[in-house]
Amino acid sequence: MEEIENTDCMLVVGSNTTEAHPVLALRMKKAMRKGAHLIVVDPRRTWLAERAEVHLQLRPGTDIPLMNAFAYVILEEGLADNTYIENLTENFDEFAAAAKEWPPERAAELCEVSADDIRKAARLYAKTDKAGIYYTLGITEHVCGVDNVRSLSNLALVTGHLGRESVGVNPLRGQNNVQGCNDVGNNPVYFPGYQEVADPEAHAKFSKVWGKELSKTPGLRLDQMMDGMHDGRLKAFYVMGEDPVVSEPNAKHVESGFEQVEFVVCQDIFLNETSRIYADVVLPSTCFAEKDGTFTNSERRVQRVRKALDPPGEARADLQILHELAAALGDDWGPADPETVWNEFADYSPRFFGIRYPRIETFGLQWPCPELDHPGTKFLHEGAPMRGKGKFYGLDHVPAWEEPDEDYPFLLTTGRTLYHYNAATQTARSEGHMDKQDRCFVEIAPADARDLGIEDGSDLKVESRRGVITVQAKVTDAVHPGVLWMPMHFAEARANVLTGDGKDPEIGTPEYKVTAVRLLT
Amino acid sequence: MNSDLNVSFELDGKTVEVQAGETLLAACRKTCTEVPTLCHDDRLDPYGGCRMCLVELEGAPRPVPACKTTAAKGMKVTSQSPMLERVRRTMAEMLMTEHTSGNGVQVDGLEECAKELGVGAMPIKFENPRTWEDRNRFLAFDPGACILCDRCVRYCDEVMQCTALEHVGQGSEAFIQPTDGASFLDTSCELCGGCISTCPTGALYEKQATAPIAETEATRSVCTFCGVGCVLDIHTKDGKVVKISSEEGSGPNDGHLCNKGRFAWQFIHHKDRLTHPLVRNAQGELEETTWEIAYSRVVEGLSAVKKKYGADSIGFLASSRCTNEDVYALQKLARSAVGTNNVHSCAAT
Repeated sequence: MEEIENTDCMLVVGSNTTEAHPVLALRMKKAMRKGAHLIVVDPRRTWLAERAEVHLQLRPGTDIPLMNAFAYVILEEGLADNTYIENLTENFDEFAAAAKEWPPERAAELCEVSADDIRKAARLYAKTDKAGIYYTLGITEHVCGVDNVRSLSNLALVTGHLGRESVGVNPLRGQNNVQGCNDVGNNPVYFPGYQEVADPEAHAKFSKVWGKELSKTPGLRLDQMMDGMHDGRLKAFYVMGEDPVVSEPNAKHVESGFEQVEFVVCQDIFLNETSRIYADVVLPSTCFAEKDGTFTNSERRVQRVRKALDPPGEARADLQILHELAAALGDDWGPADPETVWNEFADYSPRFFGIRYPRIETFGLQWPCPELDHPGTKFLHEGAPMRGKGKFYGLDHVPAWEEPDEDYPFLLTTGRTLYHYNAATQTARSEGHMDKQDRCFVEIAPADARDLGIEDGSDLKVESRRGVITVQAKVTDAVHPGVLWMPMHFAEARANVLTGDGKDPEIGTPEYKVTAVRLLT
Repeated sequence: MNSDLNVSFELDGKTVEVQAGETLLAACRKTCTEVPTLCHDDRLDPYGGCRMCLVELEGAPRPVPACKTTAAKGMKVTSQSPMLERVRRTMAEMLMTEHTSGNGVQVDGLEECAKELGVGAMPIKFENPRTWEDRNRFLAFDPGACILCDRCVRYCDEVMQCTALEHVGQGSEAFIQPTDGASFLDTSCELCGGCISTCPTGALYEKQATAPIAETEATRSVCTFCGVGCVLDIHTKDGKVVKISSEEGSGPNDGHLCNKGRFAWQFIHHKDRLTHPLVRNAQGELEETTWEIAYSRVVEGLSAVKKKYGADSIGFLASSRCTNEDVYALQKLARSAVGTNNVHSCAAT
């Protein structure tokens, strides 16, 4: 992350970094003080956008045409890194053909930005040697989330901005252990360490390690589990530290799903909307300050979490609960010691083999770290892309799952704020944070507010085809007319009551970023 | 390291080598030469305000601040001498006359420094009438302990770029305040508490803190409020959190934290915390129970569903906020103990 300070150009796409990743944004601010160029692609005028050399305030859901137009300019003006393309990439022709379909003027019309700004931004990014792309959920939470990411990696490949310090395509992880969750195998198609369930060798290996023949059937993704509750595939749910009723899209669909499930266990530190109504058993567990273990951050750095307090009452450490339950189910794993568990993971996951507790006592290590004396890996794709050749993709615009129409004329997009976190189970219990922001609001452009007679601070009903919530109107020119923005944090006005069933077909990430709504005053 | 980029000079009679561009203060620290400072923070631009780090430089008409002087080839620098000690003691005495002890929530760097130099408390009572309406629950300010080093103001300007604090007036009339004398909640302040973290005397401190720092025990851990992975210290006393801080130079965050990481910890001791296992009774209500009963209900429930519909009818969902070890154990529970690959989390980025 300290690499960010030394970048000369930042292309920040779909990331309100100063609010969602405030401390990482300090590195960006430092780079700005040192004179780095800043390009922001965001439907809102955020803190960074206000200070950007170019702010492309695009219509949500039009990232691919915009990135294709960047590529168009880069190819047209001879700004591509031809040596990199020739030696280290493949599928260039398909990409170039797709880019050719999107001259800046065409993209400008769809994206609702200026063609000149697209040209200016593309030149800045391509001409600056040390230029990095930073993205987050504004890119991924779309029906075309995967293709959106590919459209960014296309840009890095075509300019050769990859595999060096302070460049690359950098996802900023929203939760503290998103990275680690996947790393350790909390994934329906991967065993720990990204070893595929479908790979007979990996299957044999873990069957041996755990001493029993494991299932070869690939599991259900989260979105498939949500659907599975309706179609009978899923009859029981074990939920650790989650509140799907609040956090998954289309709340009514989730609730009616839970009603059909026969048995639900929730392991958590608070009761939540899911456990209060649907849990058969609730197991009280621990927060981060009450247990030992590790988290893996956005830069793949594994860091030690240490116990500072005992859990309240009879609450138990999550690891202890899981071990005791396994034993009760006839699977004896031995004592619930975090270091022993980590070692079991690292012993059988080659990319993590070199990371051990004593080595990360004072400072974490970044994987890949295959040997006990390996220093860890600061950035990926050094010298050449990890898969051998970087693959270009020919991409085209993918319309949102639900576009605004006559009945639901506004496009609602969602995000995080500085003062709260996710479902706010923790920040809403902090009075000082509530002082700053105590209820849900929706940002609406002054022109729209005028047309509908909406006053700043007044109550407003936001309705989609799935549901309706009441929020406070915040009239601001941070959003364009026709676009609304709302935070996702507030239990009494849950954005997921409104959001629909759109999701990326490849990985199932829900489309939280585009919903058609109407306003009732 | 490219030796062309290094400069060598003489420090206290010994030749030392540092990277080009490094300050004399950095060189002193590298060679474990004690030079006191109060206004310096490595994360801020060199300032040279407190004059505690004065050193003698051959050829210079008077001592120079080490924090603001870049090392150059051939320099001859003296960091310890009777004259420098006299100067430092005088500076400390001057600061101590305007300084009253804080409440101990933070370490008081000035008092520590003064003690080293043999300077005791010697406050001259200054009336500090300037207070402001302040509804915020996080940041507290004790003007008596402030030595006007401007670290807080500079942190807010340079690091956060929020400009929520200002240094107003001159001489004995000078003071620090939230911009325009407003409440922190009404300024551009983002309540990150970085001003507290850089304050050398404890004039700015955590309002929520319940005990002096000296009475607490610190445990180093990692923040859970986003994917950056800020390293932090949880200060506890008698099984309760007193405050959370982060040490400069530690972790990917270099001691910086945001308002959530530093202040959003009340949930840990909140009355809503679950303290007993719960099971749903015949009336459909959740009631407290023992772990034995809770576990046997889980085993019964999962086994019944598995028997009736097969292992793949059971789904496991983990928060992306749990530890690697917890999540590893959950997927092992699903795969090994129950027999399904239905394990996932809301990992969307």
